[in-house]
Amino acid sequence: MSDPILRIDSVTKAFGGLHAVDDVSFEIYPGEIIGLIGPNGAGKTTMFNIVSGYYAPTHGRIFFKGENISGKPPYKLAERGIGRTFQVVKPFPGLTVLENVIIASFCRYPQREKATAHAWKILELSGLADRANVSASSLTLAGRKRLEIGKALALEPELLLLDEVVAGLNPTEADQTIELILKLRDQGITILIVEHIMRVIMSISDRVVVLNFGRKIAAGKPEQVAKDPQVVQAYLGGEA
Amino acid sequence: MRHRNILWFASVLSILLILPLITDDAFFLRIITEAFMWIGLAMAWDVLAGYTGYLNFGHGVFFGIGAYTTAILMMRSEWSFPFALPAAGVVAGIVALFAGLPTLRLKGAYFAIATWALSRAVQQVALVLEITGGPDGMRLPPFLNPKFFYMLMLGIVTATFLLFWFLMERASFGLKVRAIREDESGAMALGLNPTKIKIQAFILSAVPTGILGGMYAYWITFIDPASVLGDLVTDQAVVMAVFGGLGTLFGPIIGAILIFLFKTYFWAYLADYQVLYLIILGLLIALSVVFMPNGLWGTLTGYIGARQALRKGLAVNPQAENETEKGDKTHE
Ligand SMILES: Nc1ncnc2c1ncn2[C@@H]1O[C@H](COP(=O)(O)OP(=O)(O)OP(=O)(O)O)[C@@H](O)[C@H]1O
Ligand SMILES: [Mg+2]
Repeated sequence: MSDPILRIDSVTKAFGGLHAVDDVSFEIYPGEIIGLIGPNGAGKTTMFNIVSGYYAPTHGRIFFKGENISGKPPYKLAERGIGRTFQVVKPFPGLTVLENVIIASFCRYPQREKATAHAWKILELSGLADRANVSASSLTLAGRKRLEIGKALALEPELLLLDEVVAGLNPTEADQTIELILKLRDQGITILIVEHIMRVIMSISDRVVVLNFGRKIAAGKPEQVAKDPQVVQAYLGGEA
Repeated sequence: MRHRNILWFASVLSILLILPLITDDAFFLRIITEAFMWIGLAMAWDVLAGYTGYLNFGHGVFFGIGAYTTAILMMRSEWSFPFALPAAGVVAGIVALFAGLPTLRLKGAYFAIATWALSRAVQQVALVLEITGGPDGMRLPPFLNPKFFYMLMLGIVTATFLLFWFLMERASFGLKVRAIREDESGAMALGLNPTKIKIQAFILSAVPTGILGGMYAYWITFIDPASVLGDLVTDQAVVMAVFGGLGTLFGPIIGAILIFLFKTYFWAYLADYQVLYLIILGLLIALSVVFMPNGLWGTLTGYIGARQALRKGLAVNPQAENETEKGDKTHE
């Protein structure tokens, strides 16, 4: 196998006494889709915040393309090729959809004209072109989730972190988003995705990592993980 | 559309250029010159406040520093005005750089308080130093040519306008600062370095303000800590920009013209009631924020950036900006 694009090495993140992520290690290889699952409060979003630079790990290290990136700020990591979405979507509400994506496009295309042209391509790809000039705050939830993905994509990331981009969508919208994710994988983007909807995770992930109370309790192919007694226990026993 | 704007701009500028050719009324020219100055100050304040979402309540400090820089260089080092004027901008920019590094890390209302405190501190320093003339202030050699000052002020403010128009409405910078205003933490995920962008905006706001201060010193020929480092410079620029409409190019201009007209009439006819002027100013800003948060221009055009700026700029909850993940979760 090739070298991992992301290597998480015994990472812990403590908030006071709470270990939101507790000694977790796993690796992601180029071109994979990895599902990160676990009950509410398991530490999935915290893991995303660590990988994308929002939190420095309390212990452990993170390597992106072989380089230690622990504690590097989010904007440096965005430049290096890590794109992320936010579970609680973060559109720039007073700006238009197009402007939102142009801002993300500056990362690769510093000039406004080039960034605008690139943003239009991203809007086409993410199905938002017809709403380019409306205010981002007027989008529906599905639209805002699309915009989250669009902004992350405008960075032309090598690794894309998707935090619950399907949750809350109706089945048609969900299928469209899944289609988009698979298309991105085919373009060569490596994807780490958090999702509570098992149907989605099980069908698109190459491998799954399961967290519970901050600890990694299982990892492997989706069908193996689904049968793992600890995982079954976590989901049935937990308050999810 | 673009052509119509250029036509407007060219017409207004031509009229303003012709004005001193057709009148010799020194009082009239002086009023217009001062109006230009306030337009410049309000626009410059808005770069940080309206576009970036940081309310600088010590903005006048850059005006005062510019005024003193020009005055000190001319009186103590015998620089000529053409060199002492740009120096005012340079010094103001350097002060912004060093003042911004610690203060721009603060959130909303704390930044406002810190910048206000800074301006008070600088005023105190100017009162005790020898080089500034202490409370007696400084007197500059009179250069009594109203048309010269009219033209120069017009030139400085027009250049500032064009620079802001380009950077804020055409170049990438304007969108980057708006991203900071809307969501600083979210912007980081898109490759934007908030500290760097905020410092740039702070400097961009300070440099023209310093130059206007230097210009003021040479024009009025007398400065002291009360006139150029007092609260009034900041207060008026703030009211003009907020009333006119934050986060837009034209809001502060309209606000500056209206408030300045009001001030001129008020002081001409009711000079004994200057306290009343301050009360009205205070009321006006309170009413604008509550009833017209987008200002005159924003209300007319439907632009809501001003409200966003106030929300961020007045935030007292230091956590408000850091909430990456809390809030309404969307899964089942
Ligand atoms: N900034 C923070 N400060 C203190 N505690 C936090 C912080 N962020 C998360 N936590 C706590 O860490 C734990 C893990 O939270 P996290 O948001 O990572 O879970 P999650 O797996 O994403 O859950 P969900 O499925 O509900 O989104 C929770 O107990 C949470 O309350
Ligand atoms: Mg989460």
